[in-house]
Amino acid sequence: MDVTRTVGLDRNDVIAAAKSIYSLVLLLLLWEFVAQYDMVHSYFLPPLSDVLATFYELTASGTMLEHAYLTFRRAMAGLLLACLLGIVVGVLAARNRIMGWFWDPVIEVGYPVPVIALVPVFMFWFGTGDLPKIMLVVVGCFWPVAINARNATREVDENLVWSARMMGTSDRRLLRRVVVPAAAPGIISGVQIALPIALIVTFVFEMVAGGGGLGHLEIQGVRSFESAQVYASLIAIMIVGFTLDRGLRYLRGRLLAWT
Amino acid sequence: MSYADFRLETVAETIPNPFRRVVRFVFEWIPIAIVAGLWELASGTAVSSEILPPPSAVFAVSWELLVSGRILPHLQVSLYRIGVGLGLSIVVGVALGVGMARVKPIENFFEVFLALIYPVPKAALVPLAILWLGIGTETAILIVFLACLLPIVLNSYNAARNVDRNLIWSARMMGMPAWKLPIKIVVPATIPSILTGIRQAIPIAFIALVSAELIASNRGVGFEILRHGQIGNYTSMFAVLVVISGTAFVAVRGYEWLERRVVTWT
Repeated sequence: MDVTRTVGLDRNDVIAAAKSIYSLVLLLLLWEFVAQYDMVHSYFLPPLSDVLATFYELTASGTMLEHAYLTFRRAMAGLLLACLLGIVVGVLAARNRIMGWFWDPVIEVGYPVPVIALVPVFMFWFGTGDLPKIMLVVVGCFWPVAINARNATREVDENLVWSARMMGTSDRRLLRRVVVPAAAPGIISGVQIALPIALIVTFVFEMVAGGGGLGHLEIQGVRSFESAQVYASLIAIMIVGFTLDRGLRYLRGRLLAWT
Repeated sequence: MSYADFRLETVAETIPNPFRRVVRFVFEWIPIAIVAGLWELASGTAVSSEILPPPSAVFAVSWELLVSGRILPHLQVSLYRIGVGLGLSIVVGVALGVGMARVKPIENFFEVFLALIYPVPKAALVPLAILWLGIGTETAILIVFLACLLPIVLNSYNAARNVDRNLIWSARMMGMPAWKLPIKIVVPATIPSILTGIRQAIPIAFIALVSAELIASNRGVGFEILRHGQIGNYTSMFAVLVVISGTAFVAVRGYEWLERRVVTWT
């Protein structure tokens, strides 16, 4: 479970997966059994079959996709903006003396703020629509991206920079063609750290403020005592999280194919 | 070394020694003063001070909250939740990580569960925790526990995997029984990585705590932020935010300091 590992399947993986998946199958069977015979109240643990039926129902009616799309849109828009800002600030802070002087302490102070606590603040500033959610995702994801971009850029081999300079590369070209590619692995690690933060912020904001999305769907299930809906949305959340995580790893593999 | 240092060195030579550290400190923290100054200027002019209370007022209120002790009961509840959740995740996480690394059946059994919860943002489990445990301390503890579990398991797993074989062989050769190995050799050799895992877990614990308290709590710091926001007391809301950020900062810094003091053998 190393974040740097890329996607790929071979026969050994499949065998190992089959070997390691039996416990999950056991647990799911146990879940269905315990719930069917009412050993646990169905409010706490509805039978797995009910959960899957609800999941199917919600998906088939389009509700789930609609909410998933809302969540996805907010998380991704915020993450993209944060990457743009974070990479620019991080790279400049590492390469430029004044930017470094300014951003070092700001990052030092800003990074440990539990950004999630800003949910009520952003609700108050921007309301409950898409804007506050995207903005808060940007604020939350900016710090890890910026810190990683800065550190990775600082560690770029100076010989590369000197060689490029000596061969007459201009400053701007140097950044784009030498510094950023050399720092890319670290920068992408920062994005990978930021991804779960983007999702956490989106879900929590949706739970607190509403306005649609998977988090809203899930907390709605709690409020209307529909536990099957809670579990079903959790499955959807799992799928979204898994897809994005894998997608980012795939992207990492593609972008860093030259390393 | 930040770039500011280099420029400072030339200036610093003209300053008497005891003051150098002060000057350097001031110089390095000027940007924070700039940001705070802009904020102070903006509030009341560009945006209403209702929407963005000036930092001077916010810090005054945070100080007052701390001195009068009004925030302390909530802080205490929150710290208790973090302490228990993080403590549990350290105990379970280290046992699980070391166990998975050294015993294949344990790995086969638990790996799939870890792989399943790995991509789930733990805050999304809050509603589920409400179903099971209701609103309050247990829910927050469960979320903190789950959120901190993975970094600790991953770090101890990787470290226990890579314990120097020579250490184990030497111990075996000197007649150590196999059941003593995990406690006497593997865990001590893994401790630096476990401590790194805990260090990564502390900020995560604060995020998990605040999420759980925002959604499902009627006490604690996260709840205080939401409550002040709902009754429109925005200066207090920012003040509580400052207190919780300060606590998180002190927790991480204190832990790092302690780590340097305690782990002297690496």
